Amino acid sequence: MRCEEAQNLFDAYLDGELSPSLATELGAHRVRCPECRRALALLEVSGHIISSDRDPVSVPHDFPDRLLACVDVREHGWLARVRRSLYVAGPLAAAAVIALAFLGFFDRGRDSRVAGVKVEPTSIVETGDPQSQTLSPIDREAAERAIDQWISQMQQNRTAKTEARPTLPQAHDLTILQILEMLKDANKGGPKLRHFPGANINDLLPGAPEDDPPAEDDEVEDL
Amino acid sequence: MNQGMAKVEPAEREASGSREHEVQLIARARGGDRIALRALVDLHKDRLFAFIWRMVRDHHEAEDICQDAFLKAFASFESFSSEYRFSTWLFTIGYRVCLNRLRRKRPYSGELAIADMTSAAEETPSATLESEDAGRVRKSVWSAVDRLSPPQRATILLFYRSELGCQEIARILQLPLATVKSHLHRARARLRELLEALPDQDWSYFRNLSERVG
Repeated sequence: MRCEEAQNLFDAYLDGELSPSLATELGAHRVRCPECRRALALLEVSGHIISSDRDPVSVPHDFPDRLLACVDVREHGWLARVRRSLYVAGPLAAAAVIALAFLGFFDRGRDSRVAGVKVEPTSIVETGDPQSQTLSPIDREAAERAIDQWISQMQQNRTAKTEARPTLPQAHDLTILQILEMLKDANKGGPKLRHFPGANINDLLPGAPEDDPPAEDDEVEDL
Repeated sequence: MNQGMAKVEPAEREASGSREHEVQLIARARGGDRIALRALVDLHKDRLFAFIWRMVRDHHEAEDICQDAFLKAFASFESFSSEYRFSTWLFTIGYRVCLNRLRRKRPYSGELAIADMTSAAEETPSATLESEDAGRVRKSVWSAVDRLSPPQRATILLFYRSELGCQEIARILQLPLATVKSHLHRARARLRELLEALPDQDWSYFRNLSERVG
């Protein structure tokens, strides 16, 4: 056996996977060849040291307590996931039930009103007395009108709020000269600006009071 | 000692008790049973910590990674397949966390910096080898192990220290079996290369010990 062949068998020998005949051949080569003897000895002793050396460090004795404290903080994954699912799924399910109830309600009304076909009222719940579970067409129309009024009222409120909200001019919309012009006439009353003692904050607001001279505003715009 | 001996299947010498016991513990831990969680930690913490410490060679970081691995394992119990052992799964998680830390710590170079190496001789004063020569040899061997790439180091540690077979190592490292065997082969070649530079005095100690070991 040559050195190259012998060295190709080192791994199988060290892993205990060498057949008895090849192991004998390798042993014979090892006796004859100092180079292979040295290489194999290095690997055997290295493996021995790696496998048998005692670990100089050990896990701290309070490691399990600290770990379980972290588990308490984070919670177990499954529990956290269930809770997260409930947080999301619960409101979604409730919203879905309400939406379905409303949709069913409107669909029933629309069928009877728009299609011009008389639809017999059906029971909301399959079981029980149908008469006591259904709404008459008159009740339905009244309810629809009430909801329409409520929706339009909400829209009006929102529009009114948006229009009433004052908007301050943005600094980048004004030139330096415009700002100076506004500050120049600011001593005519109203709250003083903090960093510009002579300035009137009302002048900076759009829709200035009626008693403020509009001429200056026009002049500022001309600039 | 591993040399010249067939690898014993890990399931046969699992120190953490019977397979059934582990399955029961996991089932209870999945239900949030703190006693079962504690038992799983107690069963695996020492081996996992030792492996991680040998990978990163930093006590605090090893503890941090170990804790992270356990927490990740507990947080994803539902993804654990009972066809594998819990320790395999835990070591897989620990190894992935280790790799991430090592990559973040330094650009992947395949080797540790010399400055990162600690004196193995000082760390293990009362091991089997007792002479000054023995200390030097041990230090050389561990320094050589530290200079292996992380996958090679993990393979060597799991093979020799944890006494796992290549199949089990492949599951832990999530690599094909052939790749694990290649890592083992290259790691041994690299160890040889690094240790052959030892002075003659140390080499004579190796030769004598090899005769005793063999």
